[in-house]
Amino acid sequence: MSALLDVENLSIRFPIKRGWGKTSWLYAVDDVSFQVNRGETLSIVGESGSGKTTAALGVARLVPNSGGKVDLAGEDFLALEAEDLRKARAKVQVIFQDPYSSLNPRLRAEAIVREPMDSIGTLPVAERAGRVAELFEQVGLRPEQMKLFPHQFSGGQRQRIGIARALATNPELIICDEAVSALDVAVQAQILNLLRRLQRDLGLTYLFISHDLGVVQHMSDHIAVMYMGKIVEYADRLSLFNDPRHPYTKALLSAVPSVDQSRNVDRLLIPGDPPDPLNPPEGCRFASRCPFVEDACRVDQPQLNAVTDQHKVACIKA
Amino acid sequence: MTEPLLKIENLRIELALRSGQAPVIDDLSLELNAGETLSFVGESGCGKSMTALAIMGLLPEKVGSIASGRILFDGRDMAQMNDTELRAIRGNEISMIFQEPMTSLNPVYTVGEQIAEVLRRHKGMNKRDAWARAIELLDAVRIPNAKSRVSAYPHQMSGGQRQRVMIAIALACEPKILIADEPTTALDVTVQAQIFDLLRDLGRDTGTAVILITHDMGAVAEMADRMVVMYAGRKAEYGPVSPVINHPRHPYTKGLISCVPHLLAELTEERPDLTEVPGIVPALASFGTDACLFASRCDLADDKCRSQRPPEVAFGDQHSACWKADQI
Repeated sequence: MSALLDVENLSIRFPIKRGWGKTSWLYAVDDVSFQVNRGETLSIVGESGSGKTTAALGVARLVPNSGGKVDLAGEDFLALEAEDLRKARAKVQVIFQDPYSSLNPRLRAEAIVREPMDSIGTLPVAERAGRVAELFEQVGLRPEQMKLFPHQFSGGQRQRIGIARALATNPELIICDEAVSALDVAVQAQILNLLRRLQRDLGLTYLFISHDLGVVQHMSDHIAVMYMGKIVEYADRLSLFNDPRHPYTKALLSAVPSVDQSRNVDRLLIPGDPPDPLNPPEGCRFASRCPFVEDACRVDQPQLNAVTDQHKVACIKA
Repeated sequence: MTEPLLKIENLRIELALRSGQAPVIDDLSLELNAGETLSFVGESGCGKSMTALAIMGLLPEKVGSIASGRILFDGRDMAQMNDTELRAIRGNEISMIFQEPMTSLNPVYTVGEQIAEVLRRHKGMNKRDAWARAIELLDAVRIPNAKSRVSAYPHQMSGGQRQRVMIAIALACEPKILIADEPTTALDVTVQAQIFDLLRDLGRDTGTAVILITHDMGAVAEMADRMVVMYAGRKAEYGPVSPVINHPRHPYTKGLISCVPHLLAELTEERPDLTEVPGIVPALASFGTDACLFASRCDLADDKCRSQRPPEVAFGDQHSACWKADQI
């Protein structure tokens, strides 16, 4: 299978002003590489502050990057400028977390869905209204709802508008940034089913950002686990959930409470919080919280090494 | 049998709407025993938090009021109490932690001052003793280096630490009941596991009863002894956690469990679509109608469901308010 998205050594850093003209750099994403196959879903998981959202937004060029390469459908996406970039943006669209703040309250639903076609789409003007109607049907909204404003919709319906907008330019890659976190569980199920149906019908590729491991388990083909800007483990779905190798992944998985009470035994609790991202520790960044740490862990940063064909771990003890 | 610590009888809370009064809590009865954890589950707008606010005597003034029913705490009816009496209970014997640990703390006072304030006001401690006790409490909620962190401001702490501070404040007066309203929703899972661990140990050590409000069935399975499933201001189902989760007797409970993709002990290739509970919670104006309010979203519903409110049916300790409970 061919990779639609190939990210190599992506780094994203932010300047932190320290007063008196001093600036420190916060590496939100530090030398990260991953691929997503066409028609598949790669999830990036991790705690808040791990860099998962920044990595995805960096791929879409919604935040400036500071190094690396993003190959999207054979095109060097990070090298594009001006008009070329504007056109290429049609290939990557984002579904945002908060269906309340991500829709313009002054626009009617149809105008919201149409906006990407007008700004970056290639569809002739005459066909756009028809395409909006088609999108409404695809995401399960009724035609008469096209004239309504966002506040007249429920949270789940708003997220459907957000999905219709993301589909408007016929993108190849859709970034779902915590797309269901703000929804009630029953509505969340409706949206997850819709996303999977659209993927099957339209052959979409998802880069799925979530902190909810149950949802990730359900949606993904591959999973990358991030900790402090680094990928610590990368694997296909079954390997990651049934045979996690990195202590951080193990801790993350065992922290999720489940209705399957046989899962809730032998919890691996990790103490404390991640260290200060402005002064990341030498060696393995997880060492300060790792229950299996030894002296060698604090010397060199572990590389992401393959344990099997589909499974890579950045831990010297894996 | 000993008297329950808290007993709610036929509680009805009405909210003022433009169109009149709507019962946001409709005929709710339940008991909470010392040392146990009772969980409230349901979607937003089902009355979970409203019940908690009523117990705390914190219903929004002029909008919400207790229309009928009793809230018996230690044999006294809190629904009839005036502000002074309530204030003696609130914070002392029943306290509460909220979802958002950032906005619940005052940003311009150190966490030590905020814990000490509670002790000075409720326990009449002097400044020095209250400060010393604040350090002990921070230590008890496992804040590392409590002696120096006691002088930290909320913004200097992580979300998990702030929630620990909230727990320390709530526990300062050794309450008999701790109400935790979605205490970990804003936190990462690893931090959630730490907070749950802490709450469980505290419950065991101090005998504090916990009311845990959540939408996460996994959290219920792990934390609670008994659970109440709320739907549209009414109890849909309640009982001990294991039977309710393993064999729900209400289609709403069943829907809440099966619509979430869970982590299982062993995953397989199989990934069927999630069970959908179609639609959303009905509007407040239709609460209180003599019908099953879940009928519009239920595939078992028939005319009876749409025209008569179902009574509670008992299956041992498990109770379900569904006309078809025996078929589920």
